[in-house]
Amino acid sequence: MKMKRILTALAVPLLALFLLADTGFAQRERGFDDKEIRIGQWGPQTGPAAPWGAVARGSKLVFDMVNEKGGIHGRQIRYFIRDDQYNPSQTMAGVRELVDRRGVLAFVGGVGTAPGMAVQSYLRQNEIIWVGVCSGAEAFQDNPWQWNMWPSYFDDGSLLAKFAVENKGYKKIALFYQNDDWGMDAMKGINRRLKEHNMELVAAVPVEPIERDLSSQIARLQSSGAEAIIGIVAPTQAAIALRTAVSVGFQPQWLHSYNLCDFALMNHITDGLWAREGVITSAFTDDPNADTPLMNSYREAVKKLAPEERWGIFYMAGIVVAEPLVHALEKAGPDLSTAALRDALDSIADFKGIGPRITWSKESHRPPRELQIWQCGPNGETIVVQDWIENELSME
Amino acid sequence: MDMKRSYYEDIELFGSGTVLFWAIILLAGLLAAPFFATQYHVYLFNLILVHIIVAVGLNILVGSTGQIALGHGGFFAIGAFVTVLLMTKLQLPFFVALLGSAFIAAFFGFLLGLPALRLEGPYLAIATLAFGLAIMHIIGHMELFGGRTGLSAPPLDIGIPQLGFSWVLHSQVSKYYLILAITVGMVLFAINILKTKAGRAFVAIRDSEIAAEVIGINLAVYKTLAFAVSAFYAGIAGGLYAFVLGFFDPFTFNLILSVIFLVMVVVGGLGSVMGAIAGATLITYLMYDLFKNVGEVPVVGDLLVSFSRQWLTVSGIDNFNLIALGLVMIGIIIFEPLGIFGAWIRVKKYWKTWPF
Repeated sequence: MKMKRILTALAVPLLALFLLADTGFAQRERGFDDKEIRIGQWGPQTGPAAPWGAVARGSKLVFDMVNEKGGIHGRQIRYFIRDDQYNPSQTMAGVRELVDRRGVLAFVGGVGTAPGMAVQSYLRQNEIIWVGVCSGAEAFQDNPWQWNMWPSYFDDGSLLAKFAVENKGYKKIALFYQNDDWGMDAMKGINRRLKEHNMELVAAVPVEPIERDLSSQIARLQSSGAEAIIGIVAPTQAAIALRTAVSVGFQPQWLHSYNLCDFALMNHITDGLWAREGVITSAFTDDPNADTPLMNSYREAVKKLAPEERWGIFYMAGIVVAEPLVHALEKAGPDLSTAALRDALDSIADFKGIGPRITWSKESHRPPRELQIWQCGPNGETIVVQDWIENELSME
Repeated sequence: MDMKRSYYEDIELFGSGTVLFWAIILLAGLLAAPFFATQYHVYLFNLILVHIIVAVGLNILVGSTGQIALGHGGFFAIGAFVTVLLMTKLQLPFFVALLGSAFIAAFFGFLLGLPALRLEGPYLAIATLAFGLAIMHIIGHMELFGGRTGLSAPPLDIGIPQLGFSWVLHSQVSKYYLILAITVGMVLFAINILKTKAGRAFVAIRDSEIAAEVIGINLAVYKTLAFAVSAFYAGIAGGLYAFVLGFFDPFTFNLILSVIFLVMVVVGGLGSVMGAIAGATLITYLMYDLFKNVGEVPVVGDLLVSFSRQWLTVSGIDNFNLIALGLVMIGIIIFEPLGIFGAWIRVKKYWKTWPF
């Protein structure tokens, strides 16, 4: 009985907390006031997709740096992260809450195709600016309120194939791909590129994302006699495939998509095989350890503002998507409005942060078409084997 | 207190005038709610209503029949995918598609009920768990269901467009009224079903299978029936969920969702329809609203964030969501095994005899 009385006593402050959570923020003017600009992002902070949650926190670094320098035209950036656990229904709840209750001006980033698809039409109907969804899917390309940063999977495949053929001179190239839109889009890019060279894939082996025994796929790839294999698969499967191949003495050159360019992570889950095999990947940022003023400033800021974060590729992706938004907010000037920000985004030309070079216009919000190609060095370091290169075969 | 003097008093829908009175007040409040709420809240209400349908249905199986089920995410998924596909591929009207998908879900419920005749407790939990996981991956493998990319729901037309009579619901508010009407219907149906022969049979099975069999209850029929009815509820809820969300992929219906459904029923109070409603409301509100916003509450939010920075991972405030949900669950089981419904009974008793 005593416990119950304690619980009853606890219920009072708990109730107060409920009320605070609900009333503390009455409806305000949408997006900004004289003191702050409100920006939101969703991302899986918990649950099985949690490693990608670093994207949302990476964007926070950029905003914190801006706020430290006094904000944008006197306004601080107030940034909201909503954990959606990679579940569309939670994304929708978080996004509606941020729009209705917090009144955000714009969304930045947002990991994943499914969560993004769930909120796309809602954001479009409400004319809310959305910069840099973290998905290369084609479905995001013709929303007038969306500006894209994430390189398309078509371009990714095309540039990987280009590097394999033109720089490395491989004649026999095979594809190991995830059997869905991601893999298919990349395959289109690869086939288009190989056609230019009158070549064909010697094998295209699909894999389902839940498969964990990949020996039959590796056997097929091996029997095709491929010298190089382009992989469009998730990190776990890339690691399993690499181990399986090495264990049967099959050691082609692996080229993976930009989603796997976190060499520290890949080396960790392959016990160093990633470095020993010198795996090549495409990449959508500058070298994480590059000695450029911008990169140095971010690395120092992480040490100071977010020392608990790992300087990984997903964290950097958050920076990549936030940079153009901050740039546009500065360009939009002190007379901020949704229209002003939209025009500023539309007129971004040749902007370069630590990601690819961006040009947007009123007609085209397509993502940049350039990528870098990296190779994992013997000590797990990043070797840039191909500087930024644009895909000249890109689809319109 | 609630003394029943005749059988007919027991099967009354509303036990007393007071209950009827408050039920009408509640309904009026629900009807008026959208006028005072933001778009966001209406979306939250819709989610709550959908979850109530699932929880009430799951309660018939878990609470009243005593069969554990961890695979309701699967039936929920069947409801969502089949409703949308029947509407887009076969051009069926919404209500036909919704009922069709619910019956298909019920059929799968019946199939899952068959092994349940031989399985009990943890073994049944494993079997249903496997079903929920399998459905998610099977849907993900089939091109027809949109593969892993998922499906977009068509416009919600509650008329019969094939006959030229079209009535499209665009806003969350109009969907809210549709879902509210269906939810009320499903809840009344659940209350009533427990007072029929079938409902009595369910309870008899829960209390003692052997005793039930001795008094002439066909275990095979009623156990599978309980599964089918429960899956029917999840199917209806899934069909509505598809339109609340607009877009969904197979992994929306993951294991966590199935577990959360069970949590709703347990927190609410096993075996009570009102408990299931309360549980679904509370858990949905906690998961989707309160826990997501705690970080912005003055003082408390900052405190939690700094605690998380110090002791937990870099995710910040979101570390607490599942911890808090788990604590709610553990607290309920330790202090109030009958859930919210049990607490309600106690409060009622207290005031009945107050101040003595």
